[in-house]
Amino acid sequence: MKGRHTLLYIIASILVCIIPSSCIKEENFENTPEGNFELLWKIIDEKYCFFSEKEVDWNEVHERYSKRITPDMPSHALFEVLGEMLAELKDGHVNLYAAHDVASYRKWFEDYPANFNDSINELYLGKTGEYMTAAGLKYKIFKENIGYIRYESFSSGIGDGNISEVLAYLALCDGLIIDVRNNGGGSLDYAHKLAARFTEKDVLTSYIQHKTGPGHNDFSEYYPVWLKKSDYIRWQKPVIVLTNRHSFSATNDFVNTMKLLPNVTIMGDRTGGGSGLPFSAELLNSWTVRFSASPTSDVSKKSIESGIDPDIRVDMTQEDIQKNKDTIIEEAIKLLKQ
Amino acid sequence: MKKVKLFFIAILLLCLGTNSSAQYIDSDTLQSRYRVTATTFGIGLQSSLDTYLSPIEYKGPELSIARETIRKTRFNRNITVQNFFRINAAYLNKDSRISYSGLANWNYGMHYNFNILPELKILAGGLTDMNGGFVYNPKNSNNPASAKAFIDLDLSAMAIYKFKIRNYHMTARYQANIPVAGVMFAPEFGASYYEMFYLGHTDGIVNFTSFHNHFSIRQMLTLDFPCRYVLFRMGYYWEMQQSHLKHIKSHTYSHSFMIGFVRNIKLIRDKHGKHLPANINPF
Repeated sequence: MKGRHTLLYIIASILVCIIPSSCIKEENFENTPEGNFELLWKIIDEKYCFFSEKEVDWNEVHERYSKRITPDMPSHALFEVLGEMLAELKDGHVNLYAAHDVASYRKWFEDYPANFNDSINELYLGKTGEYMTAAGLKYKIFKENIGYIRYESFSSGIGDGNISEVLAYLALCDGLIIDVRNNGGGSLDYAHKLAARFTEKDVLTSYIQHKTGPGHNDFSEYYPVWLKKSDYIRWQKPVIVLTNRHSFSATNDFVNTMKLLPNVTIMGDRTGGGSGLPFSAELLNSWTVRFSASPTSDVSKKSIESGIDPDIRVDMTQEDIQKNKDTIIEEAIKLLKQ
Repeated sequence: MKKVKLFFIAILLLCLGTNSSAQYIDSDTLQSRYRVTATTFGIGLQSSLDTYLSPIEYKGPELSIARETIRKTRFNRNITVQNFFRINAAYLNKDSRISYSGLANWNYGMHYNFNILPELKILAGGLTDMNGGFVYNPKNSNNPASAKAFIDLDLSAMAIYKFKIRNYHMTARYQANIPVAGVMFAPEFGASYYEMFYLGHTDGIVNFTSFHNHFSIRQMLTLDFPCRYVLFRMGYYWEMQQSHLKHIKSHTYSHSFMIGFVRNIKLIRDKHGKHLPANINPF
């Protein structure tokens, strides 16, 4: 009888003592201009991964921008101020999405030569029927017997079957051009899938880290990223990858990988960077912020956030543009024909 | 004191698994053939926070279905076995912030029965508490979802009160389950699922949990009442699931009104595969 009461007493004590305490909650913000400003600042403060590299004093940014926030400011004005605050990070992966607009930092390509011209590229691809399309890949054989693949966005899906068909079609060419200029990124999976066709062995291509806590320097160890050779058709001949400042994010990763492979040359302009894997979070007013969360470094553990230099630097010349010529493609053809 | 020992034996058996109970089976004793099963449908409200996705709380309606079976063990009339499965899904849409969540929960365990009064008994015991689910935020990019996977050992207590209103027999029951120790899947603070499951960097994703980082509770208040030839169950289910691991905070607070029906079943066992008598065999 005594044992029974002791046991019941223990269970009742646990229930009574523990239940009222220890709710796990997050800091509460109001859905006001101040609340959303503070929430956005905190999300970036805790989760953004390039503060040290970009030498941004985020507390000072708070100081400066909090003065511009007023309780009665209209939504569009708040969006403008928050967008400007995020632009302090100078990061193409940092965006603020609202129903009426997207705030982006675009100087990573706007301040540099375009080195790509849509109209001229269409002339190289030709009219409908003169090139083929396999999922996200447009491809054709130039008259110089050089294969040309245009991959406009790594957001456009490609499967192993698509890549095999393309490479089989181009198999008799003397060389291959992969044009990823103005490719703003997308899926790393597609980038790896394509790159895996150009190596005969597994290759260590980069390192990735992630944040382990809210501190600006709370990072994990460097985790290796390997490119595994494809089990399908693999390309053995020379390849030139064309890049410009608008080759960003997953494209930056693709270029970083391809640069390590023996038959591959990178030609054009420096890439735009964007090596931080982006995460997102929602604000109380249902706007969404995207930000770099996990940094990727090259094989020497050097950051590639600000871009990758080509092996051969080539710019499109005004003279060629006026003649509807793409200097970079022409140089690539010339090199592959040597 | 003997009863307290039996209670701990029940916990031990629970931890060792059901095979251990084989040695206690002396015959196909009668009490284990009778079981109370209940199926209930729930509608309620859920509040959900997962700072891996966003540091804000989402709220919205929740639907659930639960199935419960309780029976006595073969080896002791004072020990009952509870088998409780519940699945819930919520569409969290308050203030135009949208998120979806779902959780499947399976509790299996034993309670020792303390018969306090003829109409009141208190049950205390332990449960294994297995959970799998997700929270999905359609607006997020590389962190669109947060997987929920955890297994706990729970302390569980129940009070069952039987009473009559006119000629109607009613049963009221209150139950609370509290996880004491367990393991839980949790990514690092800023680790992406791409990194974990595509690149295979899974170090530290399985974590020990207890009161300090996973204080949670499930409570249930039910009333079984007859209506013509059917025994109905009406109840209130309150769930508080929380965790604070790797600087990631998460909670799900759920309040549900449940309604369903109860069946009292007697199992007919035949280890030798003998057919039922033809005059009663429906198959």
